[in-house]
Amino acid sequence: MTRPVLEARDLRVAYGGNVALDIPRLAVAPGELVGVVGANGAGKSTLVNALLGWSRGAPSVSGSVRLDGEEIGARPPHARVARGLALVPEGGAVFLRLSVADNLAAANVPRGSGRRGYDEEEVYALFPRLQERLHHAGSALSGGERQMLAIARALRLGPRVLLLDEPSIGLAPRLVSEVLRTVRGLVGPNLSVLLVEQNVRAAIEVVDRLVLLERGRILAEGPAAAMRDDPRILAAYLGEAVA
Amino acid sequence: MNLVQQLINGVVLGHAYALIAIGWTVLLGVARLVNFGHGQIYMLAAFVTWWATASLGLPYPLAILLAMGAGVLVGLVMQAAMLRLTFAQDLVSIMIVTLGFGHLMRGVAGLVFGGNPQVLETPLSLVDFELAGAWVTGQDLLIVAAGILVFVLLHYGLERGSLGRTARMVAEDPKLAQLAGIDVRRVYFAVFAFEGAAVALAAALVAPRTPILTSIGFEEVIVTFVVVVLGGIGSVAGSYVAGLGLGVFTALFGGFVSPAYATTAAFAVLIVVLVLRPGGLSLGGRAGR
Repeated sequence: MTRPVLEARDLRVAYGGNVALDIPRLAVAPGELVGVVGANGAGKSTLVNALLGWSRGAPSVSGSVRLDGEEIGARPPHARVARGLALVPEGGAVFLRLSVADNLAAANVPRGSGRRGYDEEEVYALFPRLQERLHHAGSALSGGERQMLAIARALRLGPRVLLLDEPSIGLAPRLVSEVLRTVRGLVGPNLSVLLVEQNVRAAIEVVDRLVLLERGRILAEGPAAAMRDDPRILAAYLGEAVA
Repeated sequence: MNLVQQLINGVVLGHAYALIAIGWTVLLGVARLVNFGHGQIYMLAAFVTWWATASLGLPYPLAILLAMGAGVLVGLVMQAAMLRLTFAQDLVSIMIVTLGFGHLMRGVAGLVFGGNPQVLETPLSLVDFELAGAWVTGQDLLIVAAGILVFVLLHYGLERGSLGRTARMVAEDPKLAQLAGIDVRRVYFAVFAFEGAAVALAAALVAPRTPILTSIGFEEVIVTFVVVVLGGIGSVAGSYVAGLGLGVFTALFGGFVSPAYATTAAFAVLIVVLVLRPGGLSLGGRAGR
């Protein structure tokens, strides 16, 4: 079996005394697109944030995170980014006072890493809209444009694994499939993606494997084709609690 | 009273104020932090400069570098002690801790350097010449030149290039900056080190104008506060203009009205400016917000 490019073991996140996430094992294979779905509060964002060791709050995080076999679980977020893990947080977080050009220029592959990030031409080919808005401040962008910019910034870091937290949130329904197809197109031998998505119906069309979270625990996981008819996934489609 | 003399005094004083304040401007702009031990770093650096020249016999330029090194060291120690508070942006605790550091520095300076006032003589303070009917010393010109140089370098450094971009990213959203691979901890240390070095440079250049005592520093913090707020928090160009303006105002008020009420008048101006322009002067080149 291929060694996972990203593997978390016994990953546990708690806020105060409340356990928000408790996952024995989660792995992403090279070139794989894994979808993480679940209802609001299931722990999806907590999961991707914990993988990067990043949070707006101050949770207590424990467990092992291995990237390409290297243990990075004790490293600070910037060091995990340097090693090839990138996160696009929910809401397409961009620097609002910086121009689009500066937002892009701010992210670069660390020297000596041997990885290659997206150059400007590749970014513009992927998101032509960003080239048109190059000198606009981040605050002047629409929600969709901010999402594009946040993804582009992450790609410039040349990640081995991209963690995407609900890239379709706030987008018009017709754009959701387009964004997810774009995400599918990013995946390749050198880039795996862990995609958090609330829109299960759209996500299941593009992912290789699906993980269903419920109250911070993995309720089910498997290949997308097999998970399509899983009753628990059907319940998640409808947004109902699964018994 | 010679108007030209007062104007020249004001310009020199203004550059001194701007130099004293620039560290705080960057600290507040980039890291959103305050340091109420700022004045005591000034005092300590003045004593180090004096000690290096008078006791060690070092040339003045080397003494300046030594004082700046001491400022960097104090800044790094303070930041190391407050790192957790910095990440939590716990401003009240930071204010109290930095005040505590200030008192600690005053005590240490008293123990090491004694309680007697000292005079820092530099080669340039002994050189004076007449300019348009007014007297200027070489030290005055050095203060003005250093002030202009520091502000020009900093203004363009923060406007352009990756250093300025990193500073603006951390100032806007330190958490998000981590996702771009920036070591925010290192930036915070660098900013505190810069603050220490900048105020130490100011002390080494400005302290020869007055006797050095362990009690100095309070007025420097007040001046810094006025300059930073007037200039617009985090605004490098604003700080320069505010420092210059405050210096000229203080010199003219002191010369033509009363030196005893110059600080009172400066605060009255601060209140008026902030009522009319709550954001201060804010003239671009921002280190942060």
